[in-house]
Amino acid sequence: MTAVLSIRDLQVSYGAVPAVRGVDLELHKGELRVILGANGAGKTTILKALLGLQKATSGSVQFDGRPILGMTPQQINKLGISWVPEGRQLWSNLSVYDNLLLGGFGVADKAVRRREIERMLERFPLLRQRSRQLAGSLSGGEQSLVAVARALISQPRVLLMDEPSLGLAPLMVKQIFDLVQEVNAAGVSILLVEQNARQALQVADWGYLLENGAIVTQGSAADLSQSSTVQDVFLGGSI
Amino acid sequence: MEMFLQLILNGAVVGSTYAVVALGFTLAFTVLRVINFAHPEIFMIGMFGGLAVASYTDSLWLALLGGALVAGIAGIILERLIIRPLYNRDVLMTLIATLGVGIVLQNGMAVVVGPDAVSFPALLPRGGVEVGLLSLSYKQLFNFAVCISILGVISGYVRLTLWGKATQAVAERPGVAAVFGINVARISQVTIVAASALGGIAAVSVGTLYGTASAYVGVLYGLKSFVCMLVAGNRYFEGVIVVAFGLGILEALVTGYLSSGLRDAVAFSVLIGVLLLRPQGLFGSYTAKV
Repeated sequence: MTAVLSIRDLQVSYGAVPAVRGVDLELHKGELRVILGANGAGKTTILKALLGLQKATSGSVQFDGRPILGMTPQQINKLGISWVPEGRQLWSNLSVYDNLLLGGFGVADKAVRRREIERMLERFPLLRQRSRQLAGSLSGGEQSLVAVARALISQPRVLLMDEPSLGLAPLMVKQIFDLVQEVNAAGVSILLVEQNARQALQVADWGYLLENGAIVTQGSAADLSQSSTVQDVFLGGSI
Repeated sequence: MEMFLQLILNGAVVGSTYAVVALGFTLAFTVLRVINFAHPEIFMIGMFGGLAVASYTDSLWLALLGGALVAGIAGIILERLIIRPLYNRDVLMTLIATLGVGIVLQNGMAVVVGPDAVSFPALLPRGGVEVGLLSLSYKQLFNFAVCISILGVISGYVRLTLWGKATQAVAERPGVAAVFGINVARISQVTIVAASALGGIAAVSVGTLYGTASAYVGVLYGLKSFVCMLVAGNRYFEGVIVVAFGLGILEALVTGYLSSGLRDAVAFSVLIGVLLLRPQGLFGSYTAKV
């Protein structure tokens, strides 16, 4: 399989404080991989470096064999990488529809943008009902749907998802993970960052365990579910 | 009762000019996180640009255009040389840098035209409109119409156009906006230049209203705009329009019923009182940093 995203020895520091210390990571076409780790392990920092929001200290990132470190977020967006940020980060003062519209800001062809928005409203009838409401007035679960839909308008090839289930009610968590699987099944390669190891390993192909900015173990999702390290850290001893 | 209504009308006319300058100030702050203390001086430069054109052509419309051009070009230079290099730095850095630019503009103009107010050509006919016991001069009406149009244009742009919505997106979450392909630098540039040019138009209109232009006119407008922005908060940029009108009307009422000497004292006391009770501003502010 060809790697659509390939990270080599990625290092990121905030001033003198290292946050990511030499991470190697691959995402193959059509795969869903998950980075597990506690708060402050460096998961979000990795995603921000991939998006061009955070400067990497050293290392390389290739998207389709093309180095992307040092590109602006705008250029990276054009290549086909999209983002569901931590805590959803919708534009709260704009309507649901406008959030989707701006999700497709980088799409040059207006007709394509409109078609993709329509497709999302078709897929999420709830969002159609709420399309004129301010995004900030929606419930957490509804906002999560908007965040996923917004990320998909540009028809990305790689989707970076930062704890999409955080803070949601259990029923909603299940819906979001179903949605993650659905998007992946539609051909979008996904790099998922999660603390919810149990759910994440059920949908993922491959997992990485990140501790203090370094990957301490990795393996297929099935193997990781059995791994004693992961069980001790995340799964309360056993599944 | 007539006096009260007349004062409200006069106050609304003045408030509309505050609103235009304050809105330019607020846009720079919400969209770029920049406190642009050069903005009131760009307003002043625009006024003299209009005055120069008016003295040669005697045309109101060319004067407005001249004001827009001079202020707009000043905005382009300011954005490129000062604001963009300091983007994402500490808010104090741009504050001090733009304050410095403002001082240079102000004193530079004082050297050129002198420290005293000079007269602005009368471009509008004398007289006005009377309804019952209330009256508004043509100058007042024109100034009011110009300012309301500018506010309408900015509001329509920001609320209804794709670029305007992108401007709001940058204001709330610049990082997320960038990831979704929005050119944050270009949005910032357009914002500064548009606010400058429209401020220049308003400045010419204010010049015709009072019949004078002064190198120090920006000081007053800058202070008032800054306070209006703080009182309104940065969540809804239209909030500053409401506050600016309120300030204009309050000033007119104090002048009419108490004394013009107390005008600023009462106005600023009320504004400080509001800030004590609602530090986040009357209409709320963004706190998100991403």
